[in-house]
Amino acid sequence: MESDAAVAKPATVRKTTPRRATKPAGEAGSAAQASTTQPRTTQPRTTQPRTTQPKSGAAKSTTARPAASRPAPAKGAPAKRTPSTRTTASSKAADPMAADAAALDSQAPESQAPDTQAPESQATDTQAATESAESQAPKAPAKRTPAARPATQPRKPANKTAAKPASATTTTPAAKPATKTPTRPAAKPTPSSDLVAAPESAAVIVEAIENVEVVEVVAPVEREIVLKVTGLVKRFDDTTAVAGIDLEIVAGSFFGIVGPNGAGKTTTLSMVTGLLRPDAGTVTVHGADVWTNPVVAKRTMGVLPDRLRLFDRLTGSQLLYYSGILHGLDKKVVRSRSADLAAAFGLEESLDRLVTDYSAGMTKKVAIAAAMIHSPRLLVLDEPFESVDPVSAANVIEILQKYVAAGGTVVMSSHTMNLIERICDSVAVVVNGAILASGTMAQVRNGKTLEERFVELAGGRKAAEGMEWLHKFSD
Amino acid sequence: MVAQILRLKLRLLGNSFRRSPWQLVALALGLLYGLGTAVLVVGGLFALRFFDVDIAASATIVLGAFVLVVYTVLPLVLGIDDTLDPRKFALFGIPNSKLATSLALASFISVPTIVVAIMAIAQIATWSRGPAPVLLAVIGAVLIVVTCVLSARISTSIAAFLLSTRRARDTTGILGLLALVSLSPVIIALISVDWAKEGLDVLGAIAAVVGWTPLGAAWAIPADAAAGDFGGAMIKLLIAVAWVGVLSVGWRALVATMLVTPQRQAHARKYSGLGWFGVFPATPTGVIAARSVTYWLRDSRYGTSLIAIPFIPIFMVIALIIGVGPLPLIALLPLPVICLFLSWSIHNDVSFDNTAVWLHLSASTSGRADRLGRLIPALTVGILVIGVGSVVSSLVYGDWSVLPSLVGASVAILFSGLGLSSIMSARFPYPSVRPGDSPFAQPQSGSPAGTIQALSFLAIIVFAAPSLIAAVLGIMYGGYWPLVALGTGLVIGIGILLIGIFWGSAIFERRGSQILAFAMRN
Repeated sequence: MESDAAVAKPATVRKTTPRRATKPAGEAGSAAQASTTQPRTTQPRTTQPRTTQPKSGAAKSTTARPAASRPAPAKGAPAKRTPSTRTTASSKAADPMAADAAALDSQAPESQAPDTQAPESQATDTQAATESAESQAPKAPAKRTPAARPATQPRKPANKTAAKPASATTTTPAAKPATKTPTRPAAKPTPSSDLVAAPESAAVIVEAIENVEVVEVVAPVEREIVLKVTGLVKRFDDTTAVAGIDLEIVAGSFFGIVGPNGAGKTTTLSMVTGLLRPDAGTVTVHGADVWTNPVVAKRTMGVLPDRLRLFDRLTGSQLLYYSGILHGLDKKVVRSRSADLAAAFGLEESLDRLVTDYSAGMTKKVAIAAAMIHSPRLLVLDEPFESVDPVSAANVIEILQKYVAAGGTVVMSSHTMNLIERICDSVAVVVNGAILASGTMAQVRNGKTLEERFVELAGGRKAAEGMEWLHKFSD
Repeated sequence: MVAQILRLKLRLLGNSFRRSPWQLVALALGLLYGLGTAVLVVGGLFALRFFDVDIAASATIVLGAFVLVVYTVLPLVLGIDDTLDPRKFALFGIPNSKLATSLALASFISVPTIVVAIMAIAQIATWSRGPAPVLLAVIGAVLIVVTCVLSARISTSIAAFLLSTRRARDTTGILGLLALVSLSPVIIALISVDWAKEGLDVLGAIAAVVGWTPLGAAWAIPADAAAGDFGGAMIKLLIAVAWVGVLSVGWRALVATMLVTPQRQAHARKYSGLGWFGVFPATPTGVIAARSVTYWLRDSRYGTSLIAIPFIPIFMVIALIIGVGPLPLIALLPLPVICLFLSWSIHNDVSFDNTAVWLHLSASTSGRADRLGRLIPALTVGILVIGVGSVVSSLVYGDWSVLPSLVGASVAILFSGLGLSSIMSARFPYPSVRPGDSPFAQPQSGSPAGTIQALSFLAIIVFAAPSLIAAVLGIMYGGYWPLVALGTGLVIGIGILLIGIFWGSAIFERRGSQILAFAMRN
């Protein structure tokens, strides 16, 4: 993870340089933390469609600087592909980078801002360069190929170290005036950095595209489909809760299911986990049908159902033990894992109390712990973070992310869009028992935030009219 | 405000009738039963019109005191779900006195109030012996109804307020049962009274005391007047009115306190280690058995049956001794009865898990492990009880030749009962008290619960019949019959147990998701 992030960083930084120029500098600080989280959420599992996404993202940025980017692809593409070491090395890292850059087109670029912008001259240069992109464009491609690559890599560390103190003092207002007026003078004395920066960034965009494509050429998507749902239907009396849901979830994905209340998320997940018999359709987990071969299918699954009771007259440790043994674990294994889980979930103090005396959040945590004690291949979590405090949620998310990085698969439902958007790499939007959109996060978001997209899919917001009385207070 | 809350209460009452057909049938039966009782009581009160004043006074006062005690104590023991809990109105910002009045008035709209009102009106008929008694009886009737309703109102709120923590709920149920059981000497004392000779004296003595307390004062007013003691009637009227005043002041204070007092916090107890889970082997069967034992000891729903099972035969023995005298035969009765209730007690075990049973489904627990695990506690206890109980029973009976019969019949009952329960709990679960609710709370019944209970109970007796008959023959004729009873008991018992486990396992595995779906509906 860490090394991946390290590889990813320079690439992202370089890539974002041009984009910065198109964006106002103001949001830089707020997005800074996104820069640290984004590369970490390694999203190595790419499904085919992802290619389109980076491309469109790149296309957007290229339009900002048409002159610079136009020549670049021609040269960049072959140049990039040849050093195969790089493509493979960055196959993991480049991927999230590309996806993030493309997907979080509003956030990710700025996130790098402190780094890039910090050395005052450079930041301003870059902006200056973009503003004067048209004029410099002809030069750029010429210089780019030989100079850009070697120049960037060694420059990076220096850039970074310089960035830290500088960014603290140099705020955007300070940078702004500098941008406009000294454009020419600044650009002139240091033509190399200026010119290099601009074309280099153009090249990086191409690199990003290239990396994505290369990843898919080098490592074609052959990830096992760990969960396959076809034509799932469930009716309750005269209401159809789930109206034909199809899903294919590949191993190693962090899959989110979002939907409004009563959309059929819980019903779907209950059928997926073999707790509710569907009226039609099949569910296959790791090759085993949940309803015809339940023993095999359920062994590979860890389940957190929503709104079902636990055996709450047991203590936390008894419940974990119970779950572990029922899932066929050895006594010793259960005990050591219980201890690990208790430490990871912050339950040590509570293990000796009855689960019925737990708070809602603690109950949820012990239930998640019980769901993963047998190290399943697939975790199906229905509203796992409801009423869990932020600190615990962060812990659990980190555990889940490591689990996914190690090849595990998480399917979770939630109606907290931000959460899903932040931690999932793929998502399905369920409304009225049907999937309205599904795919990678970038695909589904389609350039918007997940929440915006979701509201759009779910039929738009109802304008809150006729509520004027609320603004006249009755006392 | 008053009108709104009254309307709310009416709507709540009306909605309680909007249930499934089965529930309506159950409700209709309940109403019929209640009506029958009311008719009987009303008939009695009318009939008392033609008795002496003394007799009528004793009867009405004791009846009235009993009714009031029931109204006060029942909510405490049952932990009735209070639909009009004052705390539910805390956020509406209603002035306290207004709220207290409205809620008190609203609590007049209830089925029990109708019952007590009918009685109160009927006692007017009892005292239709002149204008003064009638007038006082009418006043008394009002006081009777108000006292009963206010008492029930207060004790319901106290139950909801003070007994709101889980542990308190868990223990009050059991305590209530124990209290009931400890009352049994009183009941026996009452039973042992020779009613034909001394009954009236006893009643009169009780009435004389109770009539001066708030319990019976309202009922005693017209009685005194009818007896010509107008001074006594006035004092009792004062007592009854004062008591109503005390109750209403108390109710206001209670509402005021409840509105500003948060829920009581439960003091969580710590348990160390794995408990019973460390005792049983680390296999699915083992942990399910450990879980069952833990629940038997920790969950008040199991706790009540754990207490009731030994007490039912004790009651029977006492009743029989009173009825037919201390025959040695009675000594043979408790053991089979304990076995019967012990094996029958788990016939709805899956339903007790409620939706928590999903864990068994999700872990694709084998039906065998589930069935075996659930009956291991009852089986172990049962075998121990048979071992000790048969020896003790034979000792008391005074003839060792009865031992094989007793063991055979008990084993037949216990084992076949457990086998049947294994099938019934997987195939025919019916709604039971939810985890954490009062063990006496009425589950959302209306399903064919009664039928299933009766059927599984009868089936146990049918399967054990050969052994039981042989045992009876053994006691009557001796010879080889005791051994026949032992043999048939062991064969049938073990046979039914094995069939029950295998069949029950298959049903559990096949119907797993249906069992969960059923639990979710409740």
